[in-house]
Amino acid sequence: MTLQDRPRQGAGADGPAVALGGVDITFHLADGGRYQAVRDIDLAVKPGEFVSIVGPTGCGKSTLLNAAAGLLSPSQGTVSIFGKPLVGLNRRAGYLFQQDALMPWKTALDNVKVALEPMGVPEREADAQAREWLARVGLRSFVDRYPHMLSGGQRKRVSLAQMLIRNPEIILMDEPFGPLDAQTRQIMGNLLLDLWSRDRKALMFVTHDLEEAIALSDRVVVMSAGPAAGIVADYAVSLPRPRDIADIRLEKAFHEIHRDIWSSLRVEVQKAYAMGEGKELVEGQQSVGGEAR
Amino acid sequence: MKRIKLLSLQVLVMLVFLATWHVVTATSLFGDVKTMQFFFSTPAAVLGRTFNQLTGSEIYYHLGITLTETVLAFGIGSAAGILFGFAFARRELLSAVFDPYIKAANALPRVVLAPIFALWFGLGIWSKVALGFTLVFFIVFFNVYQGVREVSPTILANARMLGMNERQLFKHVYWPSALTWMFSSLHTSVGFALVGAVVGEYLGSSAGLGYKIHEAESVFDVTGVFSGMLILTIFVILIDALVTLVERRLLVWRPVQSSTTTA
Ligand SMILES: Nc1ncnc2c1ncn2[C@@H]1O[C@H](COP(=O)(O)OP(=O)(O)O)[C@@H](O)[C@H]1O
Ligand SMILES: [Mg+2]
Repeated sequence: MTLQDRPRQGAGADGPAVALGGVDITFHLADGGRYQAVRDIDLAVKPGEFVSIVGPTGCGKSTLLNAAAGLLSPSQGTVSIFGKPLVGLNRRAGYLFQQDALMPWKTALDNVKVALEPMGVPEREADAQAREWLARVGLRSFVDRYPHMLSGGQRKRVSLAQMLIRNPEIILMDEPFGPLDAQTRQIMGNLLLDLWSRDRKALMFVTHDLEEAIALSDRVVVMSAGPAAGIVADYAVSLPRPRDIADIRLEKAFHEIHRDIWSSLRVEVQKAYAMGEGKELVEGQQSVGGEAR
Repeated sequence: MKRIKLLSLQVLVMLVFLATWHVVTATSLFGDVKTMQFFFSTPAAVLGRTFNQLTGSEIYYHLGITLTETVLAFGIGSAAGILFGFAFARRELLSAVFDPYIKAANALPRVVLAPIFALWFGLGIWSKVALGFTLVFFIVFFNVYQGVREVSPTILANARMLGMNERQLFKHVYWPSALTWMFSSLHTSVGFALVGAVVGEYLGSSAGLGYKIHEAESVFDVTGVFSGMLILTIFVILIDALVTLVERRLLVWRPVQSSTTTA
């Protein structure tokens, strides 16, 4: 039975979809200083695996995704995509950014359609496919709207369609549902699961919402507070699929996993919070920095 | 209701202005009527002259010349501004080297160039186009430069992740962003193109609205000067309305900002 999907995955099945090995990322600040955001990150995401990354704000989650996308090259360590070292941009990945990334001068339809242009899809077909994708994310009657005429959730859906229409082998999502209200998050979560389960791609999903992470993923990775953040825990989520992300929260197994992960995450969130409080105190910051090193 | 009240107040201002002007110039309350009229003309005379000119055909020849100069100055100035704006925005070294010179050139009051342009390009339309060009160029240049530099990094990163090459990035990201900035200054640049044309004509030419005003002034025909100014004002308002129309068409994608200008 696995023979059937062998040929499809065969092209790139010679290793994890994304593998970060000993990755350090240091930013050079404008004032000449340096800031080591993450340190010694080892993380592998298998093809078809849904991995969530959680951690306190500012710990370096976006930074990690940027490294996987090839938008940022690590100061040290390696990034491999399906076993090959990544050079330049990651052409096999689609990226849903944390901030609004739609072109404001294009309608929803054109924003989605334009994603097919680099692939050389003829205009007619691109149009049809873009309409189909917009319908799939529930925006059939909003195709002619400009981004500013759409709600935050609708814009995210357009972005989702724009990314998925290219059928990337790796999907990177950075707090995609962050600014949305609770109901919209649930709808979007189920929509994402529905789309993802059709042809499971490797998916790296960054969120600060632990419940969301558990409800959606196969694995939850917990990062420590920065600077020099690392991975402190890696939990498998063996809840059955298909899932409904509202219902699954009521299950006992969910609560057990949540309790486990929260116990490690809480420490880091408190650390990050304490650090934020002590930002003005140079002494306090130094001692924390020393500890992290 | 509010609109009508506003409109009637605006009309009232005009009526008070015209009435004051009339009282000052047509009655001997403030001095000798002849002297007053020599310096200030009268509203009736100015309106009458303007009406005669607008119903005649000669003025349209001059308007045509001014319009031609304006359009040419705007077109050439914008094209050059866009070209240089892009080049400078994308080449760090170029902008760093030329920065002080661009600033210096922009600081120079352009009117002083008019005699030089007259010398170089003659008294025909091209010396006026050149003057308008120097005004339009910098506005468009700075805006396009800004537009390219200030493209949202997220939009750019997203476009690159979608696999766009340089050409596609230009077409879908840089160009629209630069145009947005350029259009946001459309009123200013069109206005300056017109200023260049009229000032150029005023300082030396044989045709155009600026020339008409200058001609009237040189024979102390105050009525002619005022009437020329009135026609110029009407002309500017019409062009500005046209620009607004164009702007609305081109920037449909922008959130409607509350306009501060009256309808
Ligand atoms: N371009 C940059 N220059 C300097 N510091 C940066 C830059 N990008 C991110 N950082 C810092 O790196 C840390 C991690 O950032 P980020 O990955 O955005 O965190 P988050 O986990 O919230 O996504 C933060 O402390 C942030 O201030
Ligand atoms: Mg982030």
